[in-house]
Amino acid sequence: MATTSLPAAPSPEAPRRAGSAPTAASTSSPRDAGQLARKHHKVEPVFWWMTIPTLIVFTLAIPLPAVMGIFYSFTNFIGVGNWRFLGLANYVAMFSDPQIRASYLFTVGFSLVTVVVVNIVSFLLAVGLTGRIRAKVAMRTIFVIPMVISGIVIAYVFQFVFSNAVPAIGQALGIGLLKESLLTNPDLAWLAVVVVTAWQAIPGTLLIYIAGLMSVDEVIYEAADIDGASKFKQLMQLTLPLVSSYVVINTILGFKGFLNAYDIIVGLTAGGPGTSTMSVAMNIVNGLTNGDYAYQMANATVFFIFTLLVSLLQLSLMRGRNKK
Amino acid sequence: MAVVAAAALAGTALAGCSASGQQRIVFAFNKREGIPYMQKVVDDYNASQKKVHVVMDTSGIGTTAAGFVRGNPPDLLLANFNNQAARYVTHCATIDLSETAEAKRVRPAVKTLVDGVGECPGRTSAVPYSIMAAGVIYNKQIFARYNLEVPQTYDELIEVCKTLKAHGIIPFYGTFFDSWTVSQGWFDYAAGGSVDLKSFFNGLDAQGTDVGPDSAVSFQKNFLPGMQKMMVLARTYSNADANSRIYGDGNTAMAQGKGAMYLQGPWAFSEIAKTNPKAQLGTFPLPMTNDPKNLKVAVNVDLAAMIPEQSSHQQAAKDFMSYLFQPRIIDAYNASQLGYGPLTDSAAQNDPRVSGVQSYYQSGQMYAGPSYVIPQAIPIPNLAQSMILGADPKGVLAVIDADWARFARRQ
Amino acid sequence: MTALPVVPPVAVGKKPRSSRRADRATLQRPNWPVTIILAICTLTVLIPLYVTVSMAFKSTSQAVDGKAFSLPHPFSVEGFKQAWTMTNTPVGLGISAVITAGVVLLTIFLAAFASYAIVSNWDRRFFRYTFFYVLAAMFIPFPVVALPQVRLTGLVHLDNPLGVIILATMFQLAFSVLLFTTFLRSIPHELEESAHIDGATTWQTFWQLIFPLLAPMSATVGIFAFLYAWNDFMMPSLIISNADHQSLPVRQNIFQTQFANNYNVSFASYLMAMAPAVIVYIFTQRWVMSGVTQGAVKG
Repeated sequence: MATTSLPAAPSPEAPRRAGSAPTAASTSSPRDAGQLARKHHKVEPVFWWMTIPTLIVFTLAIPLPAVMGIFYSFTNFIGVGNWRFLGLANYVAMFSDPQIRASYLFTVGFSLVTVVVVNIVSFLLAVGLTGRIRAKVAMRTIFVIPMVISGIVIAYVFQFVFSNAVPAIGQALGIGLLKESLLTNPDLAWLAVVVVTAWQAIPGTLLIYIAGLMSVDEVIYEAADIDGASKFKQLMQLTLPLVSSYVVINTILGFKGFLNAYDIIVGLTAGGPGTSTMSVAMNIVNGLTNGDYAYQMANATVFFIFTLLVSLLQLSLMRGRNKK
Repeated sequence: MAVVAAAALAGTALAGCSASGQQRIVFAFNKREGIPYMQKVVDDYNASQKKVHVVMDTSGIGTTAAGFVRGNPPDLLLANFNNQAARYVTHCATIDLSETAEAKRVRPAVKTLVDGVGECPGRTSAVPYSIMAAGVIYNKQIFARYNLEVPQTYDELIEVCKTLKAHGIIPFYGTFFDSWTVSQGWFDYAAGGSVDLKSFFNGLDAQGTDVGPDSAVSFQKNFLPGMQKMMVLARTYSNADANSRIYGDGNTAMAQGKGAMYLQGPWAFSEIAKTNPKAQLGTFPLPMTNDPKNLKVAVNVDLAAMIPEQSSHQQAAKDFMSYLFQPRIIDAYNASQLGYGPLTDSAAQNDPRVSGVQSYYQSGQMYAGPSYVIPQAIPIPNLAQSMILGADPKGVLAVIDADWARFARRQ
Repeated sequence: MTALPVVPPVAVGKKPRSSRRADRATLQRPNWPVTIILAICTLTVLIPLYVTVSMAFKSTSQAVDGKAFSLPHPFSVEGFKQAWTMTNTPVGLGISAVITAGVVLLTIFLAAFASYAIVSNWDRRFFRYTFFYVLAAMFIPFPVVALPQVRLTGLVHLDNPLGVIILATMFQLAFSVLLFTTFLRSIPHELEESAHIDGATTWQTFWQLIFPLLAPMSATVGIFAFLYAWNDFMMPSLIISNADHQSLPVRQNIFQTQFANNYNVSFASYLMAMAPAVIVYIFTQRWVMSGVTQGAVKG
């Protein structure tokens, strides 16, 4: 679901001169003439042709269905047959539903942990992969492979790996913790979801960090070398601040994507064991087929507002950061 | 270029209906074990006449649900009649079949069972095709080797388990990773063997939204004793790696004689036979009390025929339905799947693997599994799984009570 | 699909340092400890792939034991034969290819058109609002729109691969417009001005000047559209009504729920699902890598 995975992200180090990128973050900057925009000009017809048809199809494809979906959240509609208005009954029931509360807690907690894991691992990998190493191209190629495989297939493969391969390793090495499958432990199954989600998400984050590191001027390191700063100190005090805008982007992007976790959980744990890894998106999707459509539409509406607020909060935090 | 190709694809999709005056009807069937048989029936029907071409769609309930929403559902559904499929019936989205010859052939006891899952007042919306009676599948050779009798009471069952365990045999082979195997087998048998489910659900319906610790009937009160016994069987007498085993693993293990007993329905026999066609297996009802008179088998309407209101080929669908319900076809299906025919003229089921539960089915000592009856909005498979993996049964049952009340409030 | 990466372009005037860095890297001796640590890390990617391949080539009787690391013995392709016929792979492959090609091309062109119009007319309220309107759609969770979409596509007879192409393109639109507009902002206006002085119309300017300049970003947009269209299973499974016209991932998923009791057959089907994208990636990886990273480095 591409729409659900990508937040508006302002470019790092975007041109700070007139006509800065029209991203959500830059809306606070005063409107200006822009580089390409000509003030008070007549809009050429070709520009209408470039936008209006797309805009009409877009409206029919996404905003209109969204409004319909929100409408049904006030009914008892199951997708077919007769229905009636329930008012706010679905919303009232939803806020007292421990299942739904647990799914929000799981989803937010899992997203936070995954975003941290993915960023730390990707950053370290990126530092390694832009360094003086052998087989650079081969290794970059390998690390990026998980990005091109569909989540559901990854999940099926890892379900087997966790149920059969990992316990076999645990037996062989005598590590007690690994002998039992992670997926069957209600307290730890979420870790497996983090591992597999990270496995798929790291390549994308990694590419952004590689791009960021390649834009850092080498001269800085040469100066640091002369000053005699240790490699670790260089990493923490030079590299990290220089790519901090990429860290922000990766964090926002990742968090928004992980909040919508669906494919991997369906294939890996199906929300189990018990209901311990049931994500918000899973509950909503299940409503489509299990006769609880309208109720889960109420959930989806709340989730939409929740995601929007989280993203706006992140953006405003970042805007504050950019201003200083 | 791609757009042109896509447009061509769209064109073929539209043209699908009435190419040479022939009607094309879509027949939804996704019972995985029965697909090869049913595909042959469809091919025979298509070869036997020219008026109607039947296309079988095996892609599952999700696709069927989308079809209803879209307004072009399958013309004929032959589907597991659980709460999920029954909602099309309860919302009156399928036509009345009471005037068909097939509906008139249904045994009264079976009709009661079907109506118990869901009905549209004044209509006969679903005509049952196959009834499955499920119990404990057991390995006859292992039982014979240790001189074990089929247990009739819970205490006898525990004795059997102790003997098996003492000889290093796994008494019950569990596949807890697949949550549906927990709800269909462990949860349903434990509940059905210890509670009079019919009066229990009638009581729940009468209470409406008032279900909780203080109500006359509730899951946490009525189901608890059965669940506690279930926990003993699952935790003490099952394979150590049951938590990470899936349905396929269980079938393989039973085929290889790795477990003595297996809580699965008759559909598992054909899967077990794929690995070992010679396995000597039988079935008995799971005893949950110490009175043999309480022995009952779990039944579910494994398949029922329905025709959606939105179908534009209702007559053609009825014709094909009549073809499916011919004694030779329906009897052969039920014989091959070890199901029971729901009709007054259905042939008896003589397979030795299921003969152990036959007398219970015929005398009406049966119950509909609660996991088929409880609305799917309440995730019984996940909740039953969390119980069997160690969550406190009383707490989980209280969650089911609260979910039930919450669901009732938004109907 | 969880987080896909976005690579926003960086400021104009920043030169790529890669060539210089490469020079430095080859001049100095390689850092062996880091090389070895990274090589060990690649195992986390390679082991699951190895398990998939080795399980897929086992015979049914060997796969039953569930031993993940043993080599296939005997080497068998029976899993592939079964999976191939059961999912009717050739048809699924063809339909997925048509859907993917359609989504990639439509996304690149429609998003580039819209972005160029938006950036060129940023002083007009209509185009500014269009931008934010399209962007807001990124926050709508798919399930909210799924059921009404199913109903609407049925109404206009788009319950087929063409409908999937249109919907998938619209889903990709917001993100692609975001990338393109950000990139277009960094193109110096003087270039376009000079084209106008030479007498080119806006339409000609777009094709002869702007679109070629957008190439690296088009590559990025295309890659994400490809990954989404090729791998998505939920949207086509709901939208396409005729099972014979289903895409490959949907066939795989139906297969998984219906027939997966033999590990070798399951893994053969996983391998067939992942192989096309992985092979395409390996053959184009230099191009993908430079497309994605240059999108960020170049301005």
